[in-house]
Amino acid sequence: MTAELSPSTPESSTAPRATLYEASTQYRHWRYSLQQLAHTRAALNTAAVSAIREAFESDEPGSSSNVSFLSADEEHLLVKLYVGKISQLCGHFRFPEEVEATAATYMKRFYLKNTVMDWHPKNVMLTALFLATKTTNHPISLEAYTSHIPKTAPSDVLDLEFLVAQSLGFDFAVWHAHRSLWGLWLDIQSLPDAPLDDLRASYDAALKHVRASRLTDAELVYAPSQIALACLSLASPPLAVAWARSKFPAIPDPPVLAVLEPIKDMILKDGSPPEVEAVREVDRRLKLCKNPEKVVGSTAYTKKKEEAERKADEKRRRKADDIKRAMEDGDPFGSELAGRAVDDDDDDDED
Amino acid sequence: MDAVEKANAERQRRWAKDQKIGEGTYAVVYRGREVATGRKVAIKKIKVGQFKDGLDMSAIREVKYLRELKHQNVIELLDVFSSKTNLNLVLEFLDTDLELVIKDRSLVFLPADIKSWMAMTFRGLEFCHRNFILHRDLKPNNLLIASDGQLKLADFGLARDFADPGYKMTCQVITRWYRPPELLFGCRYYSTAVDIWSVGCIFAELMLRTPYLPGESDMDQLKTTFRALGTPTEEDWPGHTKLPDYVPLGQFPKTPLRDLFTAASADCLNLLSKCLLYEPRRRISAKDALDHPYFFALPYPTHPSKLPKPIPKRTSSLPFEELDGNTEPNSTGPGVKANPPNKLKRKHSDEGMIERSKSIARKLDFSQ
Repeated sequence: MTAELSPSTPESSTAPRATLYEASTQYRHWRYSLQQLAHTRAALNTAAVSAIREAFESDEPGSSSNVSFLSADEEHLLVKLYVGKISQLCGHFRFPEEVEATAATYMKRFYLKNTVMDWHPKNVMLTALFLATKTTNHPISLEAYTSHIPKTAPSDVLDLEFLVAQSLGFDFAVWHAHRSLWGLWLDIQSLPDAPLDDLRASYDAALKHVRASRLTDAELVYAPSQIALACLSLASPPLAVAWARSKFPAIPDPPVLAVLEPIKDMILKDGSPPEVEAVREVDRRLKLCKNPEKVVGSTAYTKKKEEAERKADEKRRRKADDIKRAMEDGDPFGSELAGRAVDDDDDDDED
Repeated sequence: MDAVEKANAERQRRWAKDQKIGEGTYAVVYRGREVATGRKVAIKKIKVGQFKDGLDMSAIREVKYLRELKHQNVIELLDVFSSKTNLNLVLEFLDTDLELVIKDRSLVFLPADIKSWMAMTFRGLEFCHRNFILHRDLKPNNLLIASDGQLKLADFGLARDFADPGYKMTCQVITRWYRPPELLFGCRYYSTAVDIWSVGCIFAELMLRTPYLPGESDMDQLKTTFRALGTPTEEDWPGHTKLPDYVPLGQFPKTPLRDLFTAASADCLNLLSKCLLYEPRRRISAKDALDHPYFFALPYPTHPSKLPKPIPKRTSSLPFEELDGNTEPNSTGPGVKANPPNKLKRKHSDEGMIERSKSIARKLDFSQ
């Protein structure tokens, strides 16, 4: 995981001038350059295709030759479609914006660690949203959640929860552009010569752009405050300039404004939901190329399950042997064992 | 194996569990170590499978906030991994906690010692508040103490981000003896001031060596508070009679803090009184507290390594942290409740497996 591979940023609280944002997991683990993003996705896709090809072969030799796997771009398209659907679901449940934005972030982060050919974005989306209700402190019961979503059982959501949490590296806290925009909105109301009449309209328009930005990679590349200012600039360029000047009165052309153009381009270019027809085609192909190990009932799935069972059995047997030996030594409490490492998933305290 | 599974397995291998040191309804705590370095750690295994709503809220809160907070006076979350359906939090290992220190009658506290603990508490809390996080369960046994004497805020199972003004929060937080009157009166809109009240109670407890406001019920908590600090007037605390659960509790006179805290310096009592102001908006902030003259006056705070500490037994007494979750296992949704104050959160067993197994087997539920 890149999350663990980046040793770079100093984490000590005494490090001078590290802002709160720079100390966040979002900054430390989830910011990429555009090139890094493209590279990560391509590498993930290549690895997934070769792993799934192998799974096909073990299921039925020769069966992978005429499978057309998804490309990284196609995977991304599908993810984007379901990121867009989060917003519909949130409207239905009347979840606050924070829940929606967090779920979208979780989806995007999840697919920087996983492939859609293993985990279909529809299921991941439902789980990411449920998890987001909890991490943002707006929990609802699983039953209430699934009973409002057609053809969804509680287990559909719960089965993936752990995987999603793990893929996120348990980095649950997210800093959102809509919060930054709220801050800008508070600031611009007190600008000395702000054109008061269209402030509200500008804010509303900017918020629409922030929502559109959730369909893009912006949050994986830029800081939330940069995205918010770009959105304000899309809504009203003079207002964005006025705000920047008020923050940096000594500098004629505040550098923050220079960053905005690529963000604005990205939002305008990628900020709308994908063509349904194009996605339908991808989804149709996905049915044929998804990982058989994840399809209940396939030979590959059964094989993998059996292997896991066998390993667990072996572990249990080993443990039973240990205890038996301890009993024979005449110490039912197994004090001999106390000094030894505890089995990592000791089943005895599971219930 | 998936990349994610693989990464998890790798992380799991970095840590070894050595010995179970405590068990509660919501977690099992092990003493463990980092395999590569032998560094001692505490591994808190949270049982997830049993919750019908999946990952439970205390676990989520704890992970969410500790992932973000890194400060000398906040417990460090070193790693998170899963084993089967369990969530494992790898935390830095801390020897003891402030409650044990307070209760150890063989230890003598100097004013400089108390100042040192208070400074570390305020530093940790200021960092949380600076990060927009309310702790909401400060009490001596959540202030853990490292072998070098550093005090660290722990147990973030009830923590949350500040809400926007006008956003309702639950008032069922903070262990009763440390709960501020606004929460007892059912206030649903509150701020960092709730944590400051708790620190005030801890401050007093350090001087008294016994809990300052030990109420026996929520109602009695208010009475105990008013008996100690006087019934608030409209001037002390404008608008408090309009709070949702307000009830008149009779008139208690104000007695000067000096009467009870006979040995304390004027600075010390001044800071204490500012932590225990009824009007939450007037209560001192963690940041201002750190700038209070108390911390700059003689005697200077004791160096953490020189602070009094319980003498470890043959195998050191084992701190048990946050064993009982705040979630009711039988509730219909992922709600929270504050722990009743007399609920045993920590057990301290003697050496020996038999003794330990016995005490672990005991259910630690004293809910009323």
